[in-house]
Amino acid sequence: MKQIPDPASALHIRADELWIDESNLVYSANESDTYALEEALLLKEAHGGEVVVVTVGSARTTQMLKDALAKGAGRAIRVALEGDGDLDSNGMAHLLAAALREEAFDLILTGLQSDDAGHGQLGPMLAELLDLPHVTLVVATDIEAASIKVKQELEGGWFQNVTLTLPALLTIQSGINKPRYASLKGIMAMKSKKIRDVQPAGLGIDPQQLAPLQTVKRIYLPIKSKETVFLEGSPAEVAAQLVDKLTNEAKVL
Amino acid sequence: MQSGVPIPIPPLFYAFAALATLYFAYNLRRAAAARIGRPDSRAIDWWALIPNAITYGIAQRKVTSFKFGYASVMHLLMAWGFMELFFATSVDFFVERGWFAVWLPAKDTPWFAAANEVGGLALGIGVAMALWRRLPRNKPALLPNDAFSGRGSLLGDVGILLVLLLLAMGGFMTEAARLAIEQPENAAASFVAFSLVGLLSLEMWHSLQPALWWSHAALALTLIALLPQTKLFHALLAIVNAALTNHAEMGQLRPMHITKMMSDPEADLDSLVLGAGQVQDLTWKQLLDAQTCTECARCTSVCPAHAVGSPLSPMKIMQVIRKQLYDQTMGGKEAAELIGANAITAEELWACTTCGACAQECPVMIDHIPAIVDMRRFLVLSEGAPPEAAASSLEKTAQHGNPWGFAHETRLDWAADMDPPVPLMAQKQDVDILYWVGCAGSFDPRNQSVTRAMITILEAAGVDYAILGKEEKCTGDAARRIGEENVYETLAHDNIATLDRYRFKRIVTACPHCMQTIGRDYAQLGGQYEVVHHSAFIEELLEAGKLTPSQTVDGKVTFHDPCYLGRHNDQYDAPRAVIARTAGQDAMVEMELSRGESFCCGAGGGNMWYETKSDERVNLARFDQAIETGAETVATACSFCLIMMDDAVKVRGKEGAVAVKDIAELVAEGLTRDG
Repeated sequence: MKQIPDPASALHIRADELWIDESNLVYSANESDTYALEEALLLKEAHGGEVVVVTVGSARTTQMLKDALAKGAGRAIRVALEGDGDLDSNGMAHLLAAALREEAFDLILTGLQSDDAGHGQLGPMLAELLDLPHVTLVVATDIEAASIKVKQELEGGWFQNVTLTLPALLTIQSGINKPRYASLKGIMAMKSKKIRDVQPAGLGIDPQQLAPLQTVKRIYLPIKSKETVFLEGSPAEVAAQLVDKLTNEAKVL
Repeated sequence: MQSGVPIPIPPLFYAFAALATLYFAYNLRRAAAARIGRPDSRAIDWWALIPNAITYGIAQRKVTSFKFGYASVMHLLMAWGFMELFFATSVDFFVERGWFAVWLPAKDTPWFAAANEVGGLALGIGVAMALWRRLPRNKPALLPNDAFSGRGSLLGDVGILLVLLLLAMGGFMTEAARLAIEQPENAAASFVAFSLVGLLSLEMWHSLQPALWWSHAALALTLIALLPQTKLFHALLAIVNAALTNHAEMGQLRPMHITKMMSDPEADLDSLVLGAGQVQDLTWKQLLDAQTCTECARCTSVCPAHAVGSPLSPMKIMQVIRKQLYDQTMGGKEAAELIGANAITAEELWACTTCGACAQECPVMIDHIPAIVDMRRFLVLSEGAPPEAAASSLEKTAQHGNPWGFAHETRLDWAADMDPPVPLMAQKQDVDILYWVGCAGSFDPRNQSVTRAMITILEAAGVDYAILGKEEKCTGDAARRIGEENVYETLAHDNIATLDRYRFKRIVTACPHCMQTIGRDYAQLGGQYEVVHHSAFIEELLEAGKLTPSQTVDGKVTFHDPCYLGRHNDQYDAPRAVIARTAGQDAMVEMELSRGESFCCGAGGGNMWYETKSDERVNLARFDQAIETGAETVATACSFCLIMMDDAVKVRGKEGAVAVKDIAELVAEGLTRDG
């Protein structure tokens, strides 16, 4: 799971125009990650096992991890890092892969993409590093003994069903389920659950592998370019004007 | 047996009477079923114990209602007839043995005999009225009739009514036989029975008398012995329940002290019960309430959620609680789940707006809301199952300090262009009035206008005031009434800590929900504040001559009473006085359901934050009532009511024709017109 600036926050661009100003921000769990967590909890409830929630981040991720534990995850692992703005998906995938190699997992679920950076690359990269089969954009899951059948969303309203052998990695599309509300019972049970901090230095990763493969040049607000023109005249005249505009201005005809 | 010779009461009767009384006493243990409940936080008002029992229990003050005129007359006739006959019969049997004879009227004392006839007539007429309502073609008057109700069925109240009718008729017949045989001097005083004497010959009366007498006696004694197992038990329980009711605490929710509990290392968190999932999780008073319920259905008939076709019936909730309570304590059954398909459904619980109309109307002091909220607490705190939309709002409340989920940083944005700048507590430290803006007043565009109006008023009247600005957080009202006591307590503790940092005399707020929470709920957590609703405060300023608004309203105005201003806090006059000053004396037109009978806007009890299934939305029903008066302005005095009425104007396409205004806006507009 990844912690991101809450979508309701008032975002301001930092003076160097390389990232947003992180002071006075409220952070919350990335939306599609909350669906991935819920899918994991549902699978655990149906088939047994343990849900372990994993993140890369600073001490402020504690609230997100506690929420996940309160909702039913058994324990949490955090690759401890002060701020994650300097890591790209590749660096993060290397950290997570190193931390997960010692875990005996059957299935890794991630959100489809993070709502702040929006690369959607972490899942596939992590699967490649761990040498796992993976499917992105999953909208339904069904475990059958040692394999899992999933429904993947394609473009244009198409879907395809894929069966993977376990262990595997799936990136989960928002809306696949209804994330639960943490009960007070769950919050109380959470108090005895552990968050284990893993230091990146102890993972034996070559620092070269963490070096960003991409760099941000500048971030800026989208430039508003919407323009509304009212066409006037009889229906026939309006239609003629519209065809003209679509042909000559929009160049789509 | 010769005529003119008194008929002695057979000694055997006294033995049967003693047996019946003993069985009655044994049956009274049913009243103690409520002891399996939790302790109740609402203290018993010992000084009011006897007055309450007399006023509400015996004299049945809340039974009498113009709204339910037929039922009121019906019940008064039955109840007083029954009591009179019970007294008269007891007197007869005491006097016969010479017990207390000095103080008691002798048989055939004319006034006593006549009084007993009136008692019998009253009972008979009352029962006939009750049976009439239960005729199949008149049954709609008794809705709702569900699986838990004994209303209108032979094994339920119809059976009991027939027994009472037989008792009344048997009494007259037995008395007629006695008059015929004894021929007492004042026989005519027993005017009903006396008129029956001529129906049969003396021989017939002689031969029928023993059968009449014994059947009447047997029926009466059986009824007494079994009374606690019948619907008539309410007559006794109502007295007890009324006596034990703390009127000042009606509607107040039980504090859970979750923060304290969670920080206590000794606390046994595993066996902790959060909210009410089974009857024993309710408090003893809530259980006694349910036992006392007489299924009169007044609560359900005034319930706004029920009126718009949602599944909620407050009466049914009491019936289910009672059934499960007796099943468990008297029927030897295992504890059942209170919330489920064959009990109380979650949909019923979520439909409640906590408007308080049910408790206001209940003749036997049942307080439905705290029980409903305790069951919601079970759903939220134990099961993690609030309504879907509410879950999102609760998470936003916890994270951003407001239920809309706006960034907390923007809480003061409404004041950015205010001139002069709005004073903050952080700058002033010590003021007369702390103005509590509230989440709606801070973020909702419609309510921001009310906040600006209040600032105009405070400035114009020269009040020494300040606001908390970004130090203010949601009071937790909606979270609490949805059953999320953990979120509520966290917010409450934060707000109490903030308020206690500053010095102020009073808090003024335009939102009755904020007033209720800060002024009454926070006291349970140690926060003691005097909170004044803006309607009372504005009236105070007007009375003191500090504000002289010009008339701002042309045409008729109606006022929608917010539930948490009116029913929950008993304030009806101040907003009307304020309207009178801005609209002229004759402009006010009242809705049929106003003041204590006000019909909820539909947003209370957290309903602002989720939707429930119903045939129509509550706010539209209420708005239709408002425009039926012919008013062109619908005035209100609550953040949520304003949003709900404003929404209804748009849905009903009345924009431009009907204005929805907060009373502060009416006043402030009059001030700005003056310059």
